[in-house]
Amino acid sequence: MKEQYMKQAEKELHLPHKIKKDIIRDLNEIFASALENGETEQQVIDRLGTPKEFAASTAEQLEIDFAASEKCTRIISSVLALAVASVAFAIYAIVRAGSVPQGAIGQADAMTNLKIGGTFGMDISAVLLVIGIGAAVAAVNQIIRSIGKNRRYL
Amino acid sequence: MDSRYVQQFKKGSLEMILLCLIARKETYGYEIITELNNNGAAVLGYAKEGTVYPILYRLQEAGFIQCRIAPAAANGGSKKYYSLTLEGNETLKELISFWEKYADCVNGFIGDYQQAVEVSK
Repeated sequence: MKEQYMKQAEKELHLPHKIKKDIIRDLNEIFASALENGETEQQVIDRLGTPKEFAASTAEQLEIDFAASEKCTRIISSVLALAVASVAFAIYAIVRAGSVPQGAIGQADAMTNLKIGGTFGMDISAVLLVIGIGAAVAAVNQIIRSIGKNRRYL
Repeated sequence: MDSRYVQQFKKGSLEMILLCLIARKETYGYEIITELNNNGAAVLGYAKEGTVYPILYRLQEAGFIQCRIAPAAANGGSKKYYSLTLEGNETLKELISFWEKYADCVNGFIGDYQQAVEVSK
């Protein structure tokens, strides 16, 4: 009965791994201590509620903390994504500005210049553009979500 | 009489009560819940693990309490013994001094109200 309860509770707990491990360990102690004091497993379960109820109330009690830490992660990741996006766009702009238009007159004085423009310039700038757009979308997404979360917990 | 307001009072004071219990002596989950129920159930309601443990996690996360896990001979497993950290001790003192001021303040309003009712009688 206890094993069944613990397994079910573990499944219902949607929390970071470390805290989940603690909760399951403590649940084990709760049962052991109660039995030691003459309670039955059923009495403990009656007090804890169904595994679902136990998981929900535990998560609810802890929610404020996780909401805060989640928000922190969101802010960090959106700043990182924005940084990646601006670096990618900046390099893209530099590469584009430096690349030589096709058939430009007077630019062909160095062979190496043309080669770099032809092989590297196009590929890298396209990749950078994609990375930049991807990172910008991710940043916007994170910002919107962190604002949304914020409102929900107010 | 378990209105939302009463619930709020209980919620707000439970952290301090737990700090008091743990400050007295090193103790573990079941003992904390038993003491809460022996001495406070009539007013605070019946304490459950599902309420108490998350608060213990929070107090630990905040650095107010620490725990050590000791093997428990009787149940073949282990017990987590909680004690107050220095920071927890300081915080408890601050909380108690605030609580006293808070109670005085609230009682002041209650006293004024009761006096006004007496006068108007």
